[in-house]
Amino acid sequence: MPKTPIEVSHGCARNNGEPYVPQVCRVIDIQEQTHDVKSFRLQTLDGKRPFACEPGQLGMFSDPPYGECMFAVAGVGEDYCEFIVKNVGFTTNHLHELSVGDEVGLRGPYGNWFPYESAKGRDMLFIGGGIGMPPVRAFLRHCLAHREDYGRIDFVYSASTYDDLVCKDDLFNVWPNEPDTHVHVSVYHAKEGDGWDGAVSYTAPYLEQVFAEEGLSTENACAVLCGGPSLFRTCRESLLKLGFAPEDIVTTLEARMKCGVGKCGRCNVGGVFICLEGPVFTEAELARMPRD
Amino acid sequence: MADVQDTIRERAAALLSSGEVSAVIGWGAGRFDDVRFPLVVKRAEDAGKLVFDASCVQMTAKRLLEHTGEGKVALVARGCESRAVNRFIADHQLTRDQVYVIGVPCPGMVDPATGETLKRCAECQVRNPVVHDELVGDPVPEPKPYRFAEVDRVEAMSREERRAFFDEMYGKCIRCYACRNACPCCTCRECFVEQDKVGWQGKAFNVNEARYYGMIRAFHTGDRCIECGECERACPMGLPLMVIMHQQVRDIDKLFGPYEGGGLTDSGPDPLRTYKTDDIEEFM
Amino acid sequence: MLLKKAKAGALLDAIAAKERLFVPADDRGTSRFVAYGAGVEPRFDLLNTKLPPKDLLFPATETLYRWSRDGADLAIDSAFAETDPFTVFGLRPCDMASVDRLDAVFLTKGYVDEFYQAKREAATFVVATCAHPGRACFCDSIAASPHEAPTADVLLEDAGEEWVVTPQTEKGASAVEAWKPYLEEGDAEPIKAACDLKVDMAAVPEKLKGMFDDPIWSDIGDQCLTCGTCTFVCPTCYCFNIDQDVREDEGKRFRCWDSCMFTDYTAMAGGHNPRASKESRVRQRFMHKLTYFNDRYDMNLCVGCGRCMRDCPAAVDISLIIDRIAASEPAQEKEAMAHA
Repeated sequence: MPKTPIEVSHGCARNNGEPYVPQVCRVIDIQEQTHDVKSFRLQTLDGKRPFACEPGQLGMFSDPPYGECMFAVAGVGEDYCEFIVKNVGFTTNHLHELSVGDEVGLRGPYGNWFPYESAKGRDMLFIGGGIGMPPVRAFLRHCLAHREDYGRIDFVYSASTYDDLVCKDDLFNVWPNEPDTHVHVSVYHAKEGDGWDGAVSYTAPYLEQVFAEEGLSTENACAVLCGGPSLFRTCRESLLKLGFAPEDIVTTLEARMKCGVGKCGRCNVGGVFICLEGPVFTEAELARMPRD
Repeated sequence: MADVQDTIRERAAALLSSGEVSAVIGWGAGRFDDVRFPLVVKRAEDAGKLVFDASCVQMTAKRLLEHTGEGKVALVARGCESRAVNRFIADHQLTRDQVYVIGVPCPGMVDPATGETLKRCAECQVRNPVVHDELVGDPVPEPKPYRFAEVDRVEAMSREERRAFFDEMYGKCIRCYACRNACPCCTCRECFVEQDKVGWQGKAFNVNEARYYGMIRAFHTGDRCIECGECERACPMGLPLMVIMHQQVRDIDKLFGPYEGGGLTDSGPDPLRTYKTDDIEEFM
Repeated sequence: MLLKKAKAGALLDAIAAKERLFVPADDRGTSRFVAYGAGVEPRFDLLNTKLPPKDLLFPATETLYRWSRDGADLAIDSAFAETDPFTVFGLRPCDMASVDRLDAVFLTKGYVDEFYQAKREAATFVVATCAHPGRACFCDSIAASPHEAPTADVLLEDAGEEWVVTPQTEKGASAVEAWKPYLEEGDAEPIKAACDLKVDMAAVPEKLKGMFDDPIWSDIGDQCLTCGTCTFVCPTCYCFNIDQDVREDEGKRFRCWDSCMFTDYTAMAGGHNPRASKESRVRQRFMHKLTYFNDRYDMNLCVGCGRCMRDCPAAVDISLIIDRIAASEPAQEKEAMAHA
């Protein structure tokens, strides 16, 4: 049976009132993921989910004295949106100081989403590194929630050290127990006494190793990739080397973003705005864009 | 100046083809006869694109810093560019052996907008290069014109008038940072205005933010100003920026004795960054 | 209908009595569109103003919302407000063409920017044609014409001593109706001027697609100071930043003009900057103006007003850059030649 081609939609924008003005939300839960990563659940003041959103979409999370940052929504529940935030700069540093009960600003959702419809029936190979977890997690959770729609699921995830692995509970307790779901974790550097006895490898070689050992096939598969610039570059190369067609590799990009609605100008790759037409693109689409 | 231009071209071609320098920084010709622009020539066959005439209004020395590290770089230098070279050396931005100075005595440039001598040239104290590896053309007289007329005017103002003068000046500023980018003293790898995490400089456009930027920059360049006047020339809004720089220059002379930035006089180390027990302290 | 230039003052007084009116005028040694009133001498002889009229629709700094914090509690109030009608009198065709571009950005592609929309809907644009385009003007080979402005509400065609007045929109028609007491019946021959400076844009947007690695960008990078002058005097440069002003427990979040020439424009938290080099920033500016924007909105983001050429401290000349792109070999041919 011929597989349905992966189709990423790039015209999903919708005007939801004033695009730049956030709604006030309350932090209802904070989990310390690693020494510098925390996850936050946000809810409207009347106890509702701030917005409905698709896996891969973005939200602008703000703490008004300090600033606002764009994040991929890491997951949504009945009554919350979840964000996973790494402390890398001024604003994220202050987001890390939030407590449960604090009110914050949230606007969105922005951008397009993962092609979960056209990927139905495929084996899914997710690849993430470090803080590249949130968007991958959102898509993976979608697939698990609609488990019968997808084939075998593999998730190759790496971080610098064991301590830097985000969502350990999902990685080691939740996802491996889902049907036909295989989680493969590596760290770049083993540290004395950190309790890690698994693979020590960079993501791209580890991906190739897993692919061979597990006897995975590109035949009816879709790869989903998210991570920092060097992981992104090396894993793209690996996936192509393994025989994935560029059309079957789905990625999500990051850039400095301000407006979220394709107007302020800075997050473009060529004529495309990551916040509006992106952040989700197939490798085939990226190959046609300038290397900006 | 046609002879000078020919010699510059010959020398540039020779230096590039011998491999002694990797680039020559001078001026190229724009679309109109009175428009010249900073040109970096990297191939001997392009040496003919170099021009030198009365329309070479830009002080080009800042380009040196973008090309050091790519081999020795030649700079066509008038008095102003040569002082900038000394400034860069004093500020550890480059070493003398990284630059080959083609010195050119300068009779002063013409402002294309008015047809008169460019303001920064009309105030110029140093027309002949103070440092060079070779000199193209004959030295020109140094008239050393009085350059504090505008400072005198502002000093004579009442407090309110002066306030209005600076409000008008900075009210026009669009914070394009051309003055900073053109300035041979502004060599910080990261300028305070871009230190977003600290947030020294607000991003809004208003007179307070502009004045804050202008004043901090002036103080930061402080005693290092070489009075090339390029900040004022580069300013698209015509701010009289040299009033502040000249005021500082004069105050420093008054407080610490004659001193000119850019290694012009042998007056020792830069006064504002040198502590002496007999420093004036009447303001303390 | 004709408007004698000598009688324009009375008309301006009448318009200003009814609503806010902006005219080209000198301003502290520069020029821009200023609110007409006592002491303001309109400069209809200026070709175009030093600063473009874009701030009337897209202010250099514009508050988006105010917030206040009280312990854990946060209040957010939108700063959006309706705008009273206003007239911009005497802008040039190139500047009108720039408004078309701003409209495309702020009013299309999924999201409508309400802050822009409110001002845009309140504005009546009265365009005066150019009888004598300047030496840096090249609107008629890139985006507009010195003697036309199809999207203006009212067109004033320069006929020497007078303007031929033609309403072009409903808004323009009602404006001209109200101007009747100041207009005269009659005919005059409008001056149909053309620019001396021409560029050949035909192949440029397509050629640029193959020029990402062309040496042109490092050449321009050598010349350019990467200051923000060109972007701030440009009537179409619309990129903005969003930042805030904080006063302890309250503050406002505003947007303000930004420049792709600045290093911090694309710097991300954590330090990665996809456009750290001068060359890459210069490339972004010209690619955006001459090909990316065309792909997205089907028009150039340059209207040929010549402001950037006039005010660039390093004399970067967009018309020469267009010439060089137009004269360059397409990338594939270059490659083929290299392999031959």
